[in-house]
Amino acid sequence: MIVRYESWGAWVKLESQAALVALDREGVRRLGLDGGPTWRDRARPSAPLEVHMAVTARCGAGCEGCYLDARPDGAEPPREALLRELDALRDAGVFTVAFGGGEPTTRDDLDVLAEAARARGMTAVLTTSGLGLTDARLAKLRGFAQVNVSYDGASETYARVRGFDGAAAAERAIERVAAAGIAVGVNVVLTRDSFPRLRETLVRARDLGAREAQLLRYKPAGRAALLDYLARRLSAEQASALGPTLRELARSLCAGDDFHLRIDCALVAFLSADDELARDPSRLRRFGVFGCEAGGALAAFTVDGRVAPCSFARPTGLRATDLARHGDDPELARWRTHVDAPPEPCASCSLRSVCRGGCKVVAAHVDGTHGPDPECPRVIASRAASKDGAG
Amino acid sequence: MSAALGGGSREDEPSAEPRPEVENVLAVRMGHGANCSSIGSVVDTLFATATVGGAVFAAVVAALKVEEVSVVSPVARAMAANDEAPPEKDG
Repeated sequence: MIVRYESWGAWVKLESQAALVALDREGVRRLGLDGGPTWRDRARPSAPLEVHMAVTARCGAGCEGCYLDARPDGAEPPREALLRELDALRDAGVFTVAFGGGEPTTRDDLDVLAEAARARGMTAVLTTSGLGLTDARLAKLRGFAQVNVSYDGASETYARVRGFDGAAAAERAIERVAAAGIAVGVNVVLTRDSFPRLRETLVRARDLGAREAQLLRYKPAGRAALLDYLARRLSAEQASALGPTLRELARSLCAGDDFHLRIDCALVAFLSADDELARDPSRLRRFGVFGCEAGGALAAFTVDGRVAPCSFARPTGLRATDLARHGDDPELARWRTHVDAPPEPCASCSLRSVCRGGCKVVAAHVDGTHGPDPECPRVIASRAASKDGAG
Repeated sequence: MSAALGGGSREDEPSAEPRPEVENVLAVRMGHGANCSSIGSVVDTLFATATVGGAVFAAVVAALKVEEVSVVSPVARAMAANDEAPPEKDG
């Protein structure tokens, strides 16, 4: 296990199973450890637990909603620059580095980078479209703890999300990665069109060998930051149905230990509509559910080597190689501390400490503010009530 | 791994103290968490029975009792706090 002291105890990354454990101080002492200055001195912002590293902006897929606006002639940082960034991640105590892009498998040195991350004590994971996954490229994925393939559904659904039908290629990639003995998951973007077919998408992915499905909220960044975002995003009814939908999917698809469901940080706000979960937020905390951790437990390295609060947010002026100074960056602090004093209806929300105010990228695009998530069911209800009251 | 990690303030000799118990576990994040764009959280455990949920914590505690311990280097914190060269690593 790897222990990283925090003011309240420590994060512990287990090696025998994929799990991150938050231990209180007494638990840390029972490991024979003492947090020393981290426990004695004034608490400083914790380093990210995980960082997303864009290893290329090159991609030929042309997905309509690409958050990076990746292109076939996109920039690709040299290996030496990425190795220096991995050094910075190690020095900051980051546990997990997620390689993305662009299409990361277009890099010839992906295996070298995965090994470099592992040599620095970090878990490396990767996301790919699965398009053009040759045997040579597949062989370079063996150093990753998990590979996630973007898969939004069968052909028509996939095409409605991404603008072309890449479902067959993605399905082949899932099968081939699984057959190679590499843990494989799928990333499923939830849009108005893909949500109704979610069950069949997950069943198909599981049957192809996926061990996990990560559900992602559609976000207005890159090529998705257009007016048609409003037509593609989940409807208010779909957003409110997320909790019950997850409950049904978990009970029917995740009975054993061979398939798991994950949701991304931006979807947590939608759980406020689920009475059972909203009544018992401690359950979400106990199982380590993270809402908007941008600038906190999460950070992103852009392809030009700058730190962003998350992959969808504009980068700060902080260089990736200076990540150790993240606690001093005012923009990262603005994102990280939003939860300390959010406006209503977040201030009185039972999920506040978990959700952390919802997705600020969505708020900025839809409302032009760094404020409450305008697609959160609780925010929608609050605004409707205010409007009725004013009328 | 040794290049990445310092010994922190761990004793050189194995401690005779008991290992952590379930009540010391504040939270468990299952899985690797990351993907290329956002931070992910396993949620099927939220809807599992208390027995299954308890088994998750029990399995974690069992691992805590047997895995070898390494401590992340305090380099970053020292740099941020003192704005000077990182300290020597312990251990």
